[in-house]
Amino acid sequence: MSSESLILFFIVGAVFVGAVLIFSSLVPPKSKNPQKSEAYECGIPTTGITWLQFNIGYYLFAILFLVFDVETVFVFPWAVVMKELGMIAFVEIIIFFVILGLGLLYAWKKHALIWE
Amino acid sequence: MGLEQYLLMRHELVLTLITLIILIAELCIKGDNSRKIRPFAIILFFIATVVGFLPLGEGSLFGGMFQTNGMILIMKNVLNIGVLIIFIQSYTWLGNEENKIKVSEFFLLMLSTLIGMDFMISSGDFLMFYIGLELATIPIASLAAYERTKTKSAEAGIKLILSSALSSGIMLYGISMLYGTTGSIYFSEVAKSLHSSNLQTLAFIFFFSGMAFKISIVPFHLWTADVYEGAPISVTSYLSVISKGAAVFIFVIMLFTVFRAMTAMWQDVLYITSVLTMTIGNLFAMRQKNLKRFLAFSSISQAGFIFLGMIGGNELGMTSVVYFMLIYIFSNLGAFGVVSAIANRTGKENRDDYDGLYLTNPKLSLLMMIALFSLAGIPPVAGFFGKFFLFTAAAKGGFYMLVLIGVLNTIISLYYYLLVVKAMFINKSETPIQYFKSDGYTRLGLIICFAGIVFTGLFSFVFEYIRVYAFGV
Repeated sequence: MSSESLILFFIVGAVFVGAVLIFSSLVPPKSKNPQKSEAYECGIPTTGITWLQFNIGYYLFAILFLVFDVETVFVFPWAVVMKELGMIAFVEIIIFFVILGLGLLYAWKKHALIWE
Repeated sequence: MGLEQYLLMRHELVLTLITLIILIAELCIKGDNSRKIRPFAIILFFIATVVGFLPLGEGSLFGGMFQTNGMILIMKNVLNIGVLIIFIQSYTWLGNEENKIKVSEFFLLMLSTLIGMDFMISSGDFLMFYIGLELATIPIASLAAYERTKTKSAEAGIKLILSSALSSGIMLYGISMLYGTTGSIYFSEVAKSLHSSNLQTLAFIFFFSGMAFKISIVPFHLWTADVYEGAPISVTSYLSVISKGAAVFIFVIMLFTVFRAMTAMWQDVLYITSVLTMTIGNLFAMRQKNLKRFLAFSSISQAGFIFLGMIGGNELGMTSVVYFMLIYIFSNLGAFGVVSAIANRTGKENRDDYDGLYLTNPKLSLLMMIALFSLAGIPPVAGFFGKFFLFTAAAKGGFYMLVLIGVLNTIISLYYYLLVVKAMFINKSETPIQYFKSDGYTRLGLIICFAGIVFTGLFSFVFEYIRVYAFGV
């Protein structure tokens, strides 16, 4: 069993990653100043530490939003082929909507939509 | 093309349906609903388990993405039985004051993972397999962090999600290499174009590493003890029995079908990891004082024994793996059931706390003893026959040295299982756990485990049933 291809695989992988890292550190223009290493926050100097605790509510809203964002992504390809697939596709997307709707109802009942 | 072909995915459809029903029930019942949801969910799942046992033909759906046959059906039923026992055992714990507001979530998340596992087991291509695997993993992490006010539980959740993310990444890398070398993600196509080239060997190693994380095989076992200790006991037993069982099932199917052409290669891999897993799992288990950690390491070493059944690559091996998992479900859940019953009542889960348990709670200690004997593999109880068939399968494949190592490890494991038995029966204690009477559901769960341990061992037709149903011989 020859293992040239395997060794080559590792070498090419290591060389490629190494070369990219070295190249990107050599080529770009460098300028170092204290402002550059600061955290960016709307263009004004930051106050306090950035490792703050923040309200979990933001997170919850983002997730709920994301679910319906992804839903649209699923519905677009469905809409494109809907005419060819006919009734079955329609029933399937209705099931999909019902399950998503149940999820939203659940979030509603658990008071996830109320900003506290 | 009729609707009846969808009956092939009966398990998944029924589970999805009852998951939705429980969700709707949660939405409709106002106020404190824990009292109603718990029996409701258990009865629904009992019906689903019974429906699963109805006979069903084999076939495939969605252009080969989903496949099922007798063996896969048996595997799903075995998992269903385990989950049913866990639901019954967790009844009391779910009634606690702090768990009351999130009872239905427990059932919803557990059932979601079970749907994922069923899809994973009957997957016909790597895409379906991966979706099933993730569906089976992500809800488990939130279940591990179920008691979110406890630091250890939150830690368990974080550790589980991080280590499974890593393992999924490695596994996906392996799958992408398989796709790169064979040009297909369908199991049947991949199996045809495998020829043990170096890249394919590497792909298998990566894939194996990902699976080994789930089954907690030794070089990848480090997350196991911490997660098992931190997670609530019901979730720990779920992780150690159902999650592991599903991963073992799909792994054995893949080894026997997809990677059939590379048998000689994966036998080497399984040989080394199986020896390591048995030995290291045993050595670590000896030093554990906490019973949950102890059972975690014992389950690691059991995983090593399961590999003995796979390594022969024969039908007997596949049957014995399923049979062993069935027995393992009963014995491990029996042990966890006792630990959970005592922890619910007293909050104690160390071995020293069990000193003199026989004098105060004779029935519990007897059940614990039988469950531990079954895990160790002592003749009259079922565990002996499970291990016996695993060893037979390995010996049939010609791995006599491995069988010898396995037997030696069984003897080592006897030492630490007997330590617990000694603590309960021989050790004296100033402050033993007081006598208590468990409630009906806890006792029902324990009785099912007890019956399972005795029944599956004494009656040989269980093994025959699995073999005939799976291979039709």
